Amino acid sequence: MDQRIVEQFRDAIGPEAVLTEPVQLVTYECDALPHLRSMPDVVLLPRSAADVQKIVRICDREGVPFVARGHGTGLSGGALPVAGGVVITLAKLNRVLEIDIPNRRVTVEPGVTNLEITRQVAPHGYYYAPDPSSQQVCSLGGNVAENSGGAHCLKYGFTVHHILAVEAVLPNGELVQIGSPLADAPGPDVLGLLVGSEGTLAVVTKVVVRILRKPESVQTLLAAFNSTSEAGAAVSEIIAAGIVPAAVEMMDAVAIEAAEAAVHPNFPPADTILIVELDGPSAEVAELFGIVEATCRNAGATRIEVAQDEAQRGRIWKGRKAAFAAMGRISPNYYVQDGVVPRTKLPEVMARIRQLAEREGIRIGNVFHAGDGNLHPLICYDERIEGQSALAERVAGEILIYCVEAGGSITGEHGVGADKKEFMPRMFSEDSLDVMQSVRDALDPKRLCNPGKVLPTPRLCGEVPGPYREHPIERAGLGERF
Amino acid sequence: MSVSEALRPGTAEDAIDGVVPLRVALPESPEDLARVLADASRERQLTVLRGGGSKIGWGRVADRIDLVIGTARLGRLVAHRYGDMTVTAQAGMPLATLNRHLFEHRQHLPVESAFEDATVGGIIATNDAGPMRHRFGTPRDLLIGVTLAMTDGRLVTAGGTVVKNVAGYDLGKLVSGSHGTLAVIVDATFKLLPLPLASMTLVGSYVDGVALARDVAALHGSQVELTSFDVYAANGRWVLLMRMASSPAATEAQAAEARRLLSSAPTVLSGDEEAALWGEQIRAPWLEGGTVLRLSWLPSNLPAVIALLARLQSRGCRVAAFAGRTMGAGLLRLEGEDSTVLAAVGDLRAAGEVGHVVILRANRRVKEQIDVWGPSTGAIEVGRVLKRKFDPQNILNAGRGPI
Repeated sequence: MDQRIVEQFRDAIGPEAVLTEPVQLVTYECDALPHLRSMPDVVLLPRSAADVQKIVRICDREGVPFVARGHGTGLSGGALPVAGGVVITLAKLNRVLEIDIPNRRVTVEPGVTNLEITRQVAPHGYYYAPDPSSQQVCSLGGNVAENSGGAHCLKYGFTVHHILAVEAVLPNGELVQIGSPLADAPGPDVLGLLVGSEGTLAVVTKVVVRILRKPESVQTLLAAFNSTSEAGAAVSEIIAAGIVPAAVEMMDAVAIEAAEAAVHPNFPPADTILIVELDGPSAEVAELFGIVEATCRNAGATRIEVAQDEAQRGRIWKGRKAAFAAMGRISPNYYVQDGVVPRTKLPEVMARIRQLAEREGIRIGNVFHAGDGNLHPLICYDERIEGQSALAERVAGEILIYCVEAGGSITGEHGVGADKKEFMPRMFSEDSLDVMQSVRDALDPKRLCNPGKVLPTPRLCGEVPGPYREHPIERAGLGERF
Repeated sequence: MSVSEALRPGTAEDAIDGVVPLRVALPESPEDLARVLADASRERQLTVLRGGGSKIGWGRVADRIDLVIGTARLGRLVAHRYGDMTVTAQAGMPLATLNRHLFEHRQHLPVESAFEDATVGGIIATNDAGPMRHRFGTPRDLLIGVTLAMTDGRLVTAGGTVVKNVAGYDLGKLVSGSHGTLAVIVDATFKLLPLPLASMTLVGSYVDGVALARDVAALHGSQVELTSFDVYAANGRWVLLMRMASSPAATEAQAAEARRLLSSAPTVLSGDEEAALWGEQIRAPWLEGGTVLRLSWLPSNLPAVIALLARLQSRGCRVAAFAGRTMGAGLLRLEGEDSTVLAAVGDLRAAGEVGHVVILRANRRVKEQIDVWGPSTGAIEVGRVLKRKFDPQNILNAGRGPI
């Protein structure tokens, strides 16, 4: 990058906030999708919205592409730097600005971690509902960019349902307030567009979130089944009974084996394990939990364990949450895929995935949010064996196609990012993608704001998501993926 | 049917704020609708979109209206995937009809409207919701996919038919609350909820708004989970409406807990009586006569809002009805001379206790003297930037809508 521009950044936000040494930059060359890497020319560490605004204005004037980054836990390469561009890391905007318990609102800067909000409001009996499994380390700004979900979004929704307002810097450097702490701001829901736009429309500098009262009661059970279709039938029955569980998770034999090898949750031997959690007022949970238990039994559960205390509940969730990282115990390499199917299509798509695994001679573990049909197939391979990496890539891509063919989506929560943009034409027509591009061009006519993400440019066929590699955060035991 | 056959001259019945549109189009297919729209854009015809027409008057007064495009003939149920708890319906389907279909599988779209004719497209375009928003949010929170007709004649989609999906920009959110200024909603897909197994409503009456506000605060801080939690005021009488809907035993237990927290014994309603009460609550702000305003506030400001209403009353502006959601949103029906009503709107907009004061229904004289939408916001500014791309000829609800 032109030294003249670097000097402008130094003048604007101070020399100490401008990183240019390769050894400093290397941390920022990828997010939690490490097979996609690109070294930024400069990394900028603003301390305020005003700093962000100064940076974006320089970028706009000089035609420098910029990528906003939270804590780098994204799984789709959404924070992948752009060659010749800058990374704006929001880690230093990490203050909790206001906690308003009577109105159930918390105002934070984007670098505050997801779990920090809950930590701060828990003494008052409240929590912040979206719970991506990286919640200990992921940033609120990143959650807003990705519209993050979590295990409990079946009942409580996604980030977009819990954000009331943001302050953001538009690609032209203008600072705007979008949304309002008050309900019913007139006009189009620009906030809803911004949440989940993967950092391509603005850089968020402040977020107002809604917090919820901690549920009075939580009950969790684990049920063992002889087949995925039996477990799937149990889920359908529970939903048909008019029950909306807080979470419904499923794991197949490969995933169970991996979890046992890694964290020994003592899961019963089974082809498929179902975890169902209900929360809410005690009387409601008590009454409905009996129905859930009976439904599992009728659907063919060979064993049911009801968590008797927080420790047992923790053990069940530990087994579930460790499943991704645990794949490393049974396979040298693996892909984490993220696709969605309509819940009733789960058995059909699972059967296709099993056939695919048999046909290709590859192991695929399955962990998924069964309540909302969000699949996370874990594709096992060994990169040392020639051709296996390519095979795994092809298999991962084929599973996404199954999801789309079943009427689902190429991503339920990890985002499109740089990773899946070439799959977008499988879900959307050229015209639809073109209109999405026009949204982007309206706000970012110079195409400087996180370019190369979300929308396919240029069209390339057959690009598939990359293999899973352990992120430093996972290695350090700070976070797990879902 | 060709496009020209779907067009007819506008009549007095089509008038909006007394402005009779030159023509009305009622296309029978999404493709026809897209063609009519593209023609209108090419010919720069000022176009207003209409679903059931129940909220067509919301907005500023138009100088002229060249074309109304109605979705009355696009009212098909596309698919009710009851096992997946999702539904896709064309924009012109009335919300009430949709919920009758969903009832067959004991499901519902938990959105209420004061208007029998309200359509799927209309509730999205206005993002209008009733008391159940306390628990389920507004239409934008339940919307998971849309098909839109763009002014260049293209039909595009965003979102999908699955409840969890983060692929692409959420254009469904963008058109929520856009009041027909960006594109035409052709069909919509929603996530659904099971109908509750039991339901019960407690009604508390108060002579003193402050006592009511104290009870609201007590319930807000408790573990009682309400489906709807409304306040109603008229003629100096204050009413609190609390609906709990869950499993039978849980509903009873919740009601018992709520009763324990309330300062005086409430009346208990269920069944038809309960349904009738909520129907009245939803319709109360819309009864004949008066100006209807929408306003919002921080929940903890309810006592201040109550005091504000008393002040309006003392200045000669009759508060004919106030129906509010205790989460901080409500409708106010005011009666009085135009000048009194205008002064009241001015007072409310200047007051720190409330925000987003929008005039939804008023006579033409009032609407011509004050901006119904109120001051601009950051979202509206960004919305205008997007509108220039979506509607380059500025035909869609131009001048009437919020952007």
